[in-house]
Amino acid sequence: MFDPAVIVPPALFSLMTAHVAGALVPLIAPWRDEAKNRLAHGSAIVACAAGVLVGIGGLLAPEPLVFSLPSTIPLLTIQLRLDPLSAFFVFVISLSGVAASIYALGYVREFYERHSIGALGALYHGFLLSMILVVTADDAFFFLIVWEVMSLVSYLLVVTEHEKAETRYAGFFYLVMTHVGTAFILIAYLVFYQQTGSFTFDTFRQSGHALPEGFRTIAFVAAFIGFGAKAGIVPLHVWLPYAHPAAPSHISALMSGVMIKTAIYGLIRVYFDFLGGAFPWWWGFAVLAIGAVSALLGVMYALMEHDLKSLLAYHSVENIGIILLGIGAGMIFQSYGLSHLAALGLLAGLYHTMNHAMFKGLLFMGAGSLLYATHTRNMEEYGGLIRAMPWTAFFFLVGSISISALPPTNGFVSEWLTFQSLFLSFMLPDLLMKILIPIGAAMLALTGALAVACFAKAFGVAFLAMPRSHHAKNAKEAPLPMLVGMGTLATVCVALGLAPMLVVPVLDRVIAPFTGAQLAQSVVTEGGWALMPMGVGFASISTPVLTILLAVIIPATLLGVFLFAGKLKRRFYKTWGCGINLKPSMEYTATGFAQPIRQVFSTIYRPTVKIEKDMLEESRYFARRMRFEVHIEPTFQRYLYDPVVWVFNMVANRLRVVQAGSLHLYLAYIFLTLLALLLWVG
Amino acid sequence: MTGITPAMVPADLGSQLVNLCSMMLLVTSFAIVAQRRLSACVDLFAVQSVFLAVTAALVAFLTGIHHIYVAAGLTILIKAVIIPLILKRVIERLNVQREVAFVINIPPSLLICGALVILAFSVTEPVASIGFLLTKDSLAIALAIVLIGFFTMIARKKAVTQVVGFLMVENGLFLGAAAAAYGMPLIVELGVFFDVLVAGLIIGIYTHRLQDAFDSVDVSKLTGLKE
Repeated sequence: MFDPAVIVPPALFSLMTAHVAGALVPLIAPWRDEAKNRLAHGSAIVACAAGVLVGIGGLLAPEPLVFSLPSTIPLLTIQLRLDPLSAFFVFVISLSGVAASIYALGYVREFYERHSIGALGALYHGFLLSMILVVTADDAFFFLIVWEVMSLVSYLLVVTEHEKAETRYAGFFYLVMTHVGTAFILIAYLVFYQQTGSFTFDTFRQSGHALPEGFRTIAFVAAFIGFGAKAGIVPLHVWLPYAHPAAPSHISALMSGVMIKTAIYGLIRVYFDFLGGAFPWWWGFAVLAIGAVSALLGVMYALMEHDLKSLLAYHSVENIGIILLGIGAGMIFQSYGLSHLAALGLLAGLYHTMNHAMFKGLLFMGAGSLLYATHTRNMEEYGGLIRAMPWTAFFFLVGSISISALPPTNGFVSEWLTFQSLFLSFMLPDLLMKILIPIGAAMLALTGALAVACFAKAFGVAFLAMPRSHHAKNAKEAPLPMLVGMGTLATVCVALGLAPMLVVPVLDRVIAPFTGAQLAQSVVTEGGWALMPMGVGFASISTPVLTILLAVIIPATLLGVFLFAGKLKRRFYKTWGCGINLKPSMEYTATGFAQPIRQVFSTIYRPTVKIEKDMLEESRYFARRMRFEVHIEPTFQRYLYDPVVWVFNMVANRLRVVQAGSLHLYLAYIFLTLLALLLWVG
Repeated sequence: MTGITPAMVPADLGSQLVNLCSMMLLVTSFAIVAQRRLSACVDLFAVQSVFLAVTAALVAFLTGIHHIYVAAGLTILIKAVIIPLILKRVIERLNVQREVAFVINIPPSLLICGALVILAFSVTEPVASIGFLLTKDSLAIALAIVLIGFFTMIARKKAVTQVVGFLMVENGLFLGAAAAAYGMPLIVELGVFFDVLVAGLIIGIYTHRLQDAFDSVDVSKLTGLKE
């Protein structure tokens, strides 16, 4: 049989070896780019496959597995701990990593001759390895080190194409935000350290819930801001739409799909593990509220975005919001002692975490294929790509269905679970909660609807109708490794949607240590065919049955229409042609698609429209040239970030006097400090 | 001179000799601060290095730690001969004007240096009063030389004088090491000498570049590099 204690150590060892070899050899060896690419990403595939094994082993192991290395640095304990929560994240990271590495084999060809493939591969390995270490680190000090490594390596990957000014700006923005986040995480850990005198997670775990109330609140807030900056919660989300699009697409897929999930890991670790899951109701409510706002604003900004990768980045904000809705609901239930419901909330959050990693990875890879084929990220220059790139179109469609939470894919299952855990708030004793939480559910519903609209726009504008540009006209299908990478994730998306009854018991193992509730028995019913939130009985679904129904109903309807609607005389002609020869410029644009929503929500978007008309002199009814521009107000940047930046610049300008540029002055600073110290000591 | 052993020298006299030599180091430091001509500065530095070597040799003789002789020899070779030669050549080739340019004029400089010496003595007082060291007063002098060297770097504008200041700091440190610990391990001393030599060369080149870029070796012109 599969024995975790036997399987995990060699798998972990081969993971490390493959990462180190894959990072160093292409960096040093004087090979051609093709060989470097193959070796770097080939060994990444091996490492990630080993990571999948480690994850499965850790999930099945009866006891947490611990690996430690001796360290001579005080306070630092290099120790890895593989408990079900860590193992779950290792599994998710590695599974996305496998697909991204396969994809990269093809995608990186784009960078031959232009960038160092060895360096790109080495950074990629460092990125994957640091994420694995982040979720398995068992010491706060060590955690912060690998967390910083992850942030810095991902920064370097973001600025791969540093010859572009906007990429450098994106990188800078990301760097600032991630370090602000790290500072807050540090505060949270220092609170624990100050109380326990040790940096190991074990001591945090044992004495975390014995902390004085004030310190616990500081830890909660600091961890929420710190991890929230990485996760991209509103209003700390502003770096995502810059940084994720700027990185190479396989990196974007990992950054958006899994890197931001390490923050979710951190939140669960701190709240449920260290603080023991005992906290006041308003913590959970704060998480829930921020989650709801992030979900809604994320999707709303996504709708207005015409850069495909920025659009996907905004959707990450949305999905992090949905994950936080589940976790926040779980936290509220936990503080009222309803451990079964708490488990359901967490389950929904974790399920969505995994699902988002899969479909967001898939969509970013799809966007990468379009970029590879057309050399632009602007959706308005796509169009009609379904003919040139049928496979990419198909996989992108699977991802779109999944992110829009439609059956039979995984997004549907996890959003359904989130809804259920929000609706079950009527079991709370507190009237206020009974009223407020369903508002969150309503916002989630609106989010779902807008997401469908957004992907109808994205898919329709990119793949349907006529090519809108020269590039789109000459597009070719992506190379095989890229298609295989996307295909892998598309398969996983559908599989996770069809088999929730297999996933739920596994997630149950992850959650049980934190809530003390066994869920699988009550959620998976009907012999494993249906999901039902425990003991309530009013809602149950079975995705396999739903799928079969869809598979029957749609053809049946079509058949019915064909048989009974009478013989239609069909005439093939261009739709809405009106007898004119259709040109691409007459197509419905992405801007046009988003226009009604922009109008309805104009209080939030505050759009500014600029129309320039250049009329013929003879008649003001005929325009020679017209120009239409629409911008939406970047609210958070303007009213939250710009003032902060302004204050910083002002203070920096004042302090600039100190930096006169004179060598003598600098030497004098050192000298006077030395003298002061001497006088103080002597 | 053969046949003289440390045992034949009264402990008091040995200590006085070491103090005398270190005092001469301090006097040359003041001379450098008071000097107006660049090449004279360099000469004075060479003289100071010779005194340093003598001090080191005395310490070696009195304590019987022989590897300090090596350090003393290297001091003569590198600090009294090679580096002054390099600096002279730099001065010559760059055709630097003779005068040292000041941030702080000579009289106030000397006053400040006097204050620094007092400070150095008062700071090292607790250490010197323990009193088992042969060279206890040298420690205060070493610190005074370090401070004066540092001050020279601040108070003089020309790159060459800054190099001399830097080297004075180095001399002070060396004297301190000899005084407080009877020298560092030989391998460390060799490393330090190599460092100083390389620093001398680099600074020589740097001064060249400075001359090329600004037509002057006045380091206050570097202010223009500020953003």
